[in-house]
Amino acid sequence: MSDLENRVQSVFRRVFSHDSLVLKREMTALDIDGWDSLNHIQLIVALEKEFKVKFKPTDVIGLKNVGEMVDLVRQALAL
Amino acid sequence: MLFNSVQFLVFFFPIVTTLYFVLPQQSRWAMLLVASSYFYMAFVPKYILILVFLIAVDYAAGLLIEGAQGRRRSLYLYLSLVANVATLAVFKYYNFVNENLETLFHGLGLGYHVKNLSWLLPIGLSFHTFQSMSYTIEVYRGKQKAERHLGIYALYVMYYPQLVAGPIERPQNLLHQFHEKKSFDYARVVDGLQLMLWGLFKKCFVADRLGIFVDEIYNNPHAHDGWSFPYVAATYLFAYQIYCDFSGYSDIARGASRVMGIELMENFRYPFSAKSISEFWQRWHISLSTWFKDYLYMPLAYGSITDGVVKPWKLQWYVVVVFLVSGFWHGAGWNYGIWGALHGLFIVCSTVFRRLNARINGTLKTVITFHLVGFTWVLFRANSMADALAIYANIFGGKLDAARSWHELVHNEQLHVGVFVIAVLLVLERIYKSEKLKGSNPLLQKLQFNYAQLYYAALLVLLFMGAPLEERAFIYFQF
Repeated sequence: MSDLENRVQSVFRRVFSHDSLVLKREMTALDIDGWDSLNHIQLIVALEKEFKVKFKPTDVIGLKNVGEMVDLVRQALAL
Repeated sequence: MLFNSVQFLVFFFPIVTTLYFVLPQQSRWAMLLVASSYFYMAFVPKYILILVFLIAVDYAAGLLIEGAQGRRRSLYLYLSLVANVATLAVFKYYNFVNENLETLFHGLGLGYHVKNLSWLLPIGLSFHTFQSMSYTIEVYRGKQKAERHLGIYALYVMYYPQLVAGPIERPQNLLHQFHEKKSFDYARVVDGLQLMLWGLFKKCFVADRLGIFVDEIYNNPHAHDGWSFPYVAATYLFAYQIYCDFSGYSDIARGASRVMGIELMENFRYPFSAKSISEFWQRWHISLSTWFKDYLYMPLAYGSITDGVVKPWKLQWYVVVVFLVSGFWHGAGWNYGIWGALHGLFIVCSTVFRRLNARINGTLKTVITFHLVGFTWVLFRANSMADALAIYANIFGGKLDAARSWHELVHNEQLHVGVFVIAVLLVLERIYKSEKLKGSNPLLQKLQFNYAQLYYAALLVLLFMGAPLEERAFIYFQF
């Protein structure tokens, strides 16, 4: 797991209060307890803070799984 | 035309599918468009004009949005959204609003003389308007190129498998598939037909059987006043009826489309296994819940982030509002609105009591979720708000009357049939979910059979022997 993925994982652990959560790219909201529409926004806010980036509103809509979320962070950092 | 009619299964589907594979790629879209128009016009022919109007508006809007900059882009998007929402409002909500205004004016002692419209609700209107809006919004967001080919865009809206009851598709998933050449693939055709058979089984064998008992109780909400058992039983049965009715429809739609090589999105993923209301909506009518999430909730919620902070109460408020709107999407009646709002409130409660929630065992969570959803089904199924209240009064205020209930359980044939078909469903769904269908055993191999063949043969037999003969419309057609 890359450093970036580790940091994303620690954000997930914090937001979902789940210390032993291990992320996989193909995980969806159904695989993580508590990943609902309310927490999704908290997750976006926490990721923006952690990586000091700002996502475009249209980019955070329709994210299907953890992998797409990691890619979004990577893209935002590359800009 | 109903999927569970002889007209569809014996004539329409085989003819359209055969033509699809026989015709060259460049004329397939035209054949599918003509077939879809015929399919739609089997209900109320003149309403095709609504589709023609909306297709013209949204096709033009897509091109204009793509070619414009700045505020003009938003203007064209708004025009498209207004056209769709206004059409929906006139046909679906005019009478509801009018009647409520009349009640309000009379309550205030004022006169009110605006007449209701006597139009029928055009079939599938809520579905295809939402799919059309999905197109213009995605073009606006730059995630979908505007479709140049008017015929293919029209087919995106009118594609018969999902025209009248979804799944509500996204342009990124569907449009490109109409441009691609799909060849005949035996394994895929078989797979599609099996999905159709599974859907037909759920609709005709399970849902329609359950409907007989459910209708009797729900259409006569005062017939057993003061006694809770029939209403509780009918509500349990309705939970499985609506699941099998609607997911059955989606499976037939997806199966019929898969036969031609066009994949439609998954709409149901074992919703009754959900451990929370929020998870339930990630498994139930997925194409609608993601529509509301992507196009209404997320813009509201994301827009409420200020300086990297978002207030939880704002998000909770948006959840309730979005579910309220989703409730009214299903029907122009207070029972639908309250049904939706209750789901939103349940989600808010589960986040407020998160710590307590975390301590509940997983299976118990599933049971609680099923019953919370079941509690709201009363509003969904009842013919009016007054009926729903009468049924709630009987469920919670009526006597249990153990001896009478036991007698009913032992002697009511429709109830026996109901329990039996649910049991068959649960067993078959378990097998369907398991990996077992893919394999075989040495004895079956000798007979040149595998588990899947036996399974689908059993479904066919059950379908022919056990489905009621009348054609019952799909519940979601009314939306």
